[in-house]
Amino acid sequence: MSTTNQTTTNRSTMAADEIEIPLGPDGKPIDPLTDHEYDGIREYDNPTPGWWWLIFVITIAFSAFYVVFWHASAYGWSIEESWASAQRRDFIRVFGKVGTLEPTEATILESQNNEQFMTIARATFIGNCAACHASDGGGQVGPNLCDDNFKSVRSVEDIYKAITEGAAAGSMPAWNTRLSQNQRVILAAYVATLRGTTPASPKAPEGDVIPPFPKTPPAGATKPEQQRADAR
Amino acid sequence: MAANEEHAVSVGAEAKAANAGHGADGPVGPMETFKYDDAIVRKFMGVTVLWALVAFLVGLIVALELIVPVATTYEVAGFRPFAFLAPLSFLVDTKWLTFGRLRPLHTNAAIFAFAGNAIFAAIYYSTQRLCKARMWSDKLSNLHFWGWQLIIVLAALSLPLGLTQGKEYAELIWPIDLLIALVWAGVFGTNYFMTLRVRRERHMYVALWFYAATIITVAMLHVFNSLALPASLTRSYPVYAGVQDAMIQWWYGHNAVAFFLTTPFLGLMYYFMPKAAGRPVYSYRLSIIHFWSLIFIYIWAGPHHLHYTALPAWASTLGMLFSVMLWMPSWGGGINGLLTLRGAWHKLTDDPILKFFVVGVTFYMMSTFEGPMLSIKSVNALSHYTDWTIAHVHAGALGWNGFLAFGMIYWLLPRLYQTPLFSKKLAEWHFWLATLGILLYIIPIYFGGITQGLMWRAFDQTGTLQYPDFVETVMRLMPFYGIRVIGGTLYFLGTILLAYNLVRTWMKRPKVYDEPVYSAPRLLPFADPAAPAFKTRLPDNIGLGKKGDVLVQHITSVWWHRAWEARPAKLAILSFLAVATASALELIPTFLIRSNVPTIASVQPYTPLELGGRDVYISEGCYNCHSQMIRPIWAETKRYGDYSKPGEFVYDRPFQWGSRRLGPDLAREGGLRSNIWHVLHFENPRQTSPQSIMPAYPHLLKDEIVWEEIDRSVLTHAMLGVPYPKEVRDGLSTQLAQTQAKAIADDIVAAGGPAGLENKQVVALIAYLQRLGTDINKPAPAAPAAATPVASTAP
Repeated sequence: MSTTNQTTTNRSTMAADEIEIPLGPDGKPIDPLTDHEYDGIREYDNPTPGWWWLIFVITIAFSAFYVVFWHASAYGWSIEESWASAQRRDFIRVFGKVGTLEPTEATILESQNNEQFMTIARATFIGNCAACHASDGGGQVGPNLCDDNFKSVRSVEDIYKAITEGAAAGSMPAWNTRLSQNQRVILAAYVATLRGTTPASPKAPEGDVIPPFPKTPPAGATKPEQQRADAR
Repeated sequence: MAANEEHAVSVGAEAKAANAGHGADGPVGPMETFKYDDAIVRKFMGVTVLWALVAFLVGLIVALELIVPVATTYEVAGFRPFAFLAPLSFLVDTKWLTFGRLRPLHTNAAIFAFAGNAIFAAIYYSTQRLCKARMWSDKLSNLHFWGWQLIIVLAALSLPLGLTQGKEYAELIWPIDLLIALVWAGVFGTNYFMTLRVRRERHMYVALWFYAATIITVAMLHVFNSLALPASLTRSYPVYAGVQDAMIQWWYGHNAVAFFLTTPFLGLMYYFMPKAAGRPVYSYRLSIIHFWSLIFIYIWAGPHHLHYTALPAWASTLGMLFSVMLWMPSWGGGINGLLTLRGAWHKLTDDPILKFFVVGVTFYMMSTFEGPMLSIKSVNALSHYTDWTIAHVHAGALGWNGFLAFGMIYWLLPRLYQTPLFSKKLAEWHFWLATLGILLYIIPIYFGGITQGLMWRAFDQTGTLQYPDFVETVMRLMPFYGIRVIGGTLYFLGTILLAYNLVRTWMKRPKVYDEPVYSAPRLLPFADPAAPAFKTRLPDNIGLGKKGDVLVQHITSVWWHRAWEARPAKLAILSFLAVATASALELIPTFLIRSNVPTIASVQPYTPLELGGRDVYISEGCYNCHSQMIRPIWAETKRYGDYSKPGEFVYDRPFQWGSRRLGPDLAREGGLRSNIWHVLHFENPRQTSPQSIMPAYPHLLKDEIVWEEIDRSVLTHAMLGVPYPKEVRDGLSTQLAQTQAKAIADDIVAAGGPAGLENKQVVALIAYLQRLGTDINKPAPAAPAAATPVASTAP
């Protein structure tokens, strides 16, 4: 490499500028060349690979089939229809045998016996309520649900009412448009079970001390047929 | 290989003889002498490296911002191993440096500053040589250079200040948009096409077709996506709303990838790769078919960014299918690049330039396989909104764009500075650092993306979400995010080696650059060559198909394309028609078919205060982490509520559907939490969600609402057709906004929050958030509008 002759373009640093044509054993280029040359760049006249065409044509044919199947045949279904059937399956799995749960004290208390309901309600609580009440119910922006003091609740039915309509002049939002009635009933049941538990960092009590909620009835005390149906 | 090497001869005399024997090059005039303008290439190359450092550094910063809040408090056996990151907490707490403001700076710097200047260097160097002509105007070349750098500096200043249009990769405010249009189309485009006009090489090489398609299409995309009505010098609202804005944005966004990061880099590859390998390009005919199929098919693919959203199903299908069909056209370029190395693979062992090119093209082929795969709807249902997309784009950007640019720069350095490269060894180190860096970046992020996607959709046996708390799915990403920072650091270190190599090579430059004088004859006008007279190859006794056989011979002989290559205007117009026709076929129905967006009578325009809050939302770049689009997927409606309907977004200018969920979806945030919760959360998210990685926004509690700006927003929206009553337009808007702000501030005080927020930005933002997604459950107004109720009850 010469670095002395720098006033002219240093060709020695540009060895790669030269395009070489690899030759086969017969002394000819390995593939036919076109007669094109651009700034020394040459091009072979190779055909487009067959497998390239094959896959390209397959993707086009697939597309044609896809459009017809999903948008112009009786066999396809829409994303919304698929969602609706998932919704139906889910409802039947969870509440299918129960039907509609009424927000009465008896139903709410009975729901506490249903392990599946409580698991679902716990997930609902964590997904929607924990932001203000903390995931263990100890309270944060919203009040502590584990102590004996309550602001707008006097009975388990009031819990349902607070969830449904909101409370504290809107600080507690209304959930009637977001959670179904069944979901709100079992959520009220779950919230009632939090009372008396020990949260990690409890918020100071707010509101008045209220009498204890009625005890959970023994499993199967009422409507035994319903409880059996729920058992998995 | 060795045998080939022995037989290899320099093309020199043989090639010239071949050319001389070929008469199709047409009549030529007198010999002319000319010099190439390499000074402009040196400038573009230098800033490419400079902006690469900036773009990668900002990338590192935003990557750190995501882990600092969690890492600094992480404890193992009473010991905090990452406590040393604590001094970086200022990044999360400084309002100009929050993730929402810096992430657009990172993407804009990587795409438009780093990749942009790299392609300009490539185009200015290769176009002159391929045309045997100096750039048409040195003045325009320099205007282009300085204009583009001005745009970059303005972007780097405006984005941290929160001045943004709120559309991904098109964030820059309207005055900068105008400047981009002027510099790109007016200056660069004119200079490029005029250079083609005065060229001394009859036919245009494939690289020039790609450059031409790039210039034309990017101009078209930029202009149509940026159409907006200004409300002030720094704010504007798009002429499109909701679904239509989403459609045009991703038509733009995807084709920014196509025509800013793919086609110009393919042109770059076609020039620099055969040069560096010293071998002919594999197939001329493949370059023709893949060029046209690529530009025609690519332009349709945008809607694959909007699968399962409120976009009409037919558009989503088009986006998916054209992406699938795009696989082979993309790979055509990769094949042509890699097969060009036939008989030169042994050179890879001691040539860092070829290493960069080969790995770059390999990443291109991986990304262009992955892209079609990700655009398949059911795959996209998992990958969308997760880091899978982030890993995908970084494989493309770091692997393909980065490595091609680096390979080109190392090849150019000795030629432009006319002295040997300072250190080949450092270039080798750069290659290995960067390769390892990419792998350490993308592999954990792939894992993280897929993990989070699966966690979002995981149900337990009772049919309940297994991870109902969103932040739990974010915490799982933290180790992956940590490894990413290491990968990014290695890539950044490699780029520092490049910068050092560049500076040291530059220091060895000659006092005066040698400017060789070249000569070539001037081209004279000539007529298109006559069509070859093909005869059918079919035997006489076959009566049918003879014309078809002749036609096939015409097509496959590609003589007609050879004729186009001598006509730049024709080639440019045909390229424009290819991209414009496809765009029109896809976009016009989106705008004209009313059933695409069924109206919902209860969806009403935002109140003035909510509109002001929306401006804050856009300005803070909330869309960088929060989507506003619940997809009709069971796991998703379980988590966020009823899925989003097209009619809910008719007043959204710009749409804010987002593309990535680092935080939960906000489409139905309205009414979910109390006002005081939001105040505490903005002041410091750790107050309400201990594990949150969201930045703190205490300034929102201090910065005042500018009521006149809200007034102007309302007026501008009214001019765009949003039905605000006359009295609102006539000045009632401020009063309405102040009343609503007062009510929210009073509620905050009643809940025990701070007083005096009634004129603070946080109140406007809360008003907006409390409105999100609530209209659909409201009763329709009394007006006898023909509503199409598509609301379904929440499960």
